[in-house]
Amino acid sequence: MSVDSVEPVRSWVRSGADRIASSLRFVVGDTPAAVGLVVLVTFAFLGVFGPAIAPHDPIRYSVQTGQGAIARLQSPTLAAPFGTTAYGKDVFSQFLAGARPTFVVGLFGGVATGGVGFLVGLVAGYFGGTVDEVLMRLTDLTFSLPFMPMALLLLTFVQPNIWVITAIVAAFLWKMPARVIRSEVLSVSERTFVRSAKASGAGHLRTMFVHVAPNVLPIAFLYTAYGVAWSIAAQASLAFLGFGDPTTTSWGRMLRQVFASGSIRVAWWWVIPPAVGIAAVTTSVFLIGRAYEEVINPEISEQSQ
Amino acid sequence: MSQFQRFLAKRIGIAAALTLVAVTIIFFTLRLLPGSPFTQLVASGNLSEQQVAEILSLYGLNQPLHEQYLIYLQNLLTFQFGYSIRQTRPVWEILGPKLFNTLILLVPALVTTAVLSTLLGMYAGWNRGSWLETGSIVTTTFLRSTPVFITALLFIIVFSYTLDLVPAFGMREITASPDGFAATYLSVDFLHHYLLPFTVAVLYYSGDFLLLARNGVVEQKGSEFLKLHKAKGLSETEQLLRTGRNSLLPVLTYFALRLGMIFQGLILLEVVFGWPGIGRQLVTSISQQDFPVVQAAVFLMALAVIVMNLVADVLSAYFDPAVTAGGGS
Repeated sequence: MSVDSVEPVRSWVRSGADRIASSLRFVVGDTPAAVGLVVLVTFAFLGVFGPAIAPHDPIRYSVQTGQGAIARLQSPTLAAPFGTTAYGKDVFSQFLAGARPTFVVGLFGGVATGGVGFLVGLVAGYFGGTVDEVLMRLTDLTFSLPFMPMALLLLTFVQPNIWVITAIVAAFLWKMPARVIRSEVLSVSERTFVRSAKASGAGHLRTMFVHVAPNVLPIAFLYTAYGVAWSIAAQASLAFLGFGDPTTTSWGRMLRQVFASGSIRVAWWWVIPPAVGIAAVTTSVFLIGRAYEEVINPEISEQSQ
Repeated sequence: MSQFQRFLAKRIGIAAALTLVAVTIIFFTLRLLPGSPFTQLVASGNLSEQQVAEILSLYGLNQPLHEQYLIYLQNLLTFQFGYSIRQTRPVWEILGPKLFNTLILLVPALVTTAVLSTLLGMYAGWNRGSWLETGSIVTTTFLRSTPVFITALLFIIVFSYTLDLVPAFGMREITASPDGFAATYLSVDFLHHYLLPFTVAVLYYSGDFLLLARNGVVEQKGSEFLKLHKAKGLSETEQLLRTGRNSLLPVLTYFALRLGMIFQGLILLEVVFGWPGIGRQLVTSISQQDFPVVQAAVFLMALAVIVMNLVADVLSAYFDPAVTAGGGS
């Protein structure tokens, strides 16, 4: 490899790292975003270690009273700090273990959403013409197929598990980043350095990934983050409707059980942990995203006082 | 043809094509489902072979797939959705009232939030860096990013079960048997059931309008246009209103898009509140495998999105000629 071909890649990495460092600095300077970052780190920790640190098995173990009976719908005590479910299960253990499916779908759904959207947007915007037309009509189609009903339909004949749900989420949500990234690519492609790269004989792939892509990466990151929040919300919503993975405990499934069992009238301790868990994570992603958006969107950041 | 007319024709053509592709996908997805709702009925052995054949022909299920498909397309064009399998009455008779229930809940909610949160967003953008700006952004970000059923559950716990202010479930008291439109929708009982889901819907939608309006104002602060107004000696409020007027187009097109997603967006809201709308009906019909109803409900949801997308495109093209000049793709 000649020095000439390595140099752009190097500067690509360097400018990328610089950009990430500077936006991290900005995010930490923005109070709501900083709080969001703390929440997300905690959530990632729970996603990885939650099932391991849960004191009991979330499904098999039943909390028992002093007399040896199963403790049903018990408000928080020392033995069960988050109380028990109508089936005598430990809510605290379910909360810890339930973080994982939420985390997995969020992470992979987000990465797939951002990744596919990035590629589609990049290719459509770069090549333009027929390629653009075809890809954009395809995004229009996924826009017009209503997400929730289609997901419900698909999940009636595919046994739901977290990977199927991740795939469905990604299959429907890549359209958002695709559109935004395409329009960004269109404006970048007009700039001189891209034109001169093309004129100097750089191939399509090279121009696309070395010259155009770095300029739209920040938006791709942003939409990957949003994709994480959308995936988590979709997974929780599907699980709540009874279309989640029936074999694992997730926050969405906990909420379904408390709602379907009618215990929601009394058992606030069973509702609050998963509800607050989901709300805190999705909100955090958007608060960080918004702060980050101000860094990368010159129209908002430059004209402010 | 003017440029705008050409643009319009192209857009309408695309919308029609999209509708066709969408209904085709819905049709084949449903036909691929293993086991028709009749499998159970036939397996029960209570029907003679002739009865089975009669039922199948009643629903057109004895014809080859492509014939079924053509009949289905023909029926959709005339809004003939066939008969429900579970309820043996026309699908439209089931879905019509549900559709109305959804609209009467969500359209007023959408209009309310569009007006209120746009105004609040403009004000927040104008007072950049104030506690009001930060506070309103954090609150509405919470409301729009949290799945709507969670907000709904929390509101039910607080306002229904703890404070006992409003009912948690349904559109009317179970004992109420209203007859006719006025009795159904114009009563204190209805209003009582309406308040909570309406409020949650307003809050859920608020975030996007607020951010759009706020960003619009922030982007224009410091523009030449605004400096001119300042120089002319307009008051702060007058300046804000003029700035706001300029950033209304994104709000307007966004409103159209949201209106298109109205049937599918809040399925979970309807489920949690037991609101007899089209979304809740869809979930019920899916679990009952009543696919004429499912087919019609999903079709209506897709159609709403396609039509309102078209309207949004046309709106922005009409008010912003730069869109049509660029070919508008």
